[in-house]
Amino acid sequence: MDEDEAQKQRLKAAVHYTVGRLCQDIAADCEKQITKQTIAAIAETAFRQCDIFAKDLEAFARHAKRHTVTVDDVKLTARRTTALYNYIQQKSEELALNNQELKEKRKKNAAKRKSKDMEAEEENELED
Amino acid sequence: FVAKSLVVFHVHGFSSTVSSDAVILVAELLKVFVEEATRRAVKQADSEDCDTIDIEHFEKILPQLLLDF
Repeated sequence: MDEDEAQKQRLKAAVHYTVGRLCQDIAADCEKQITKQTIAAIAETAFRQCDIFAKDLEAFARHAKRHTVTVDDVKLTARRTTALYNYIQQKSEELALNNQELKEKRKKNAAKRKSKDMEAEEENELED
Repeated sequence: FVAKSLVVFHVHGFSSTVSSDAVILVAELLKVFVEEATRRAVKQADSEDCDTIDIEHFEKILPQLLLDF
C-alpha cells in the first residue's frame, strides 16, 4: 500500500506543477497575481475531480459491458454544461480526423513499400 | 501537458484499460477544468477590486464550478 501512496504523491506533484504553469499563464494574461495557496487549492481540486471522472468513466464502460474506456464514455462524463459537451465533441472529431489521416498515410507507405518490394523482386528476377 | 494524461492513466488503474484517444480527451477535460477554475477566480478577484487572486476568491467560485462539472 505504501507504493500506492508514493505513486499518488508523485502524481499529485506532477498535477501541481502543470496546474501551476497553467494558472501563471492565465494570471499573467489577466495581469493579476496568484498566491501559491490558491494554486495548491486548484491542483488539489483538479486531482479530486480527476478521481470522480475516472470513477464515472469506469462505471460507464462497465455499463456498456466493455473493458476499455472509449471516447464516448468521456463525452458522457462532460455532459453537464452544454458548452463543455460541445467543446469535447469538437476535440473528439479532430482526433478522429487525425487518426484517419494517419491510417491513410500508413496505407500509402505500405503501398509504396509493396511496390518497391515488387520492383526489387522484378529486378532480381531479371538479373537471374 | 502530456504529464496530465499519464496522471489520468495511472491514478485510476481500476480493472479496465483506457483507449489512447480517451486519455487525450480526458486530459483536455481536466485542462478546461483548471482554466475555468482560474478564470472564474480571476473574475471574482476583479469584482472585489483585488489585484491578487486569493484563496478566498477561489473558495467563492468553487461550489458553482463543481456543479458545472
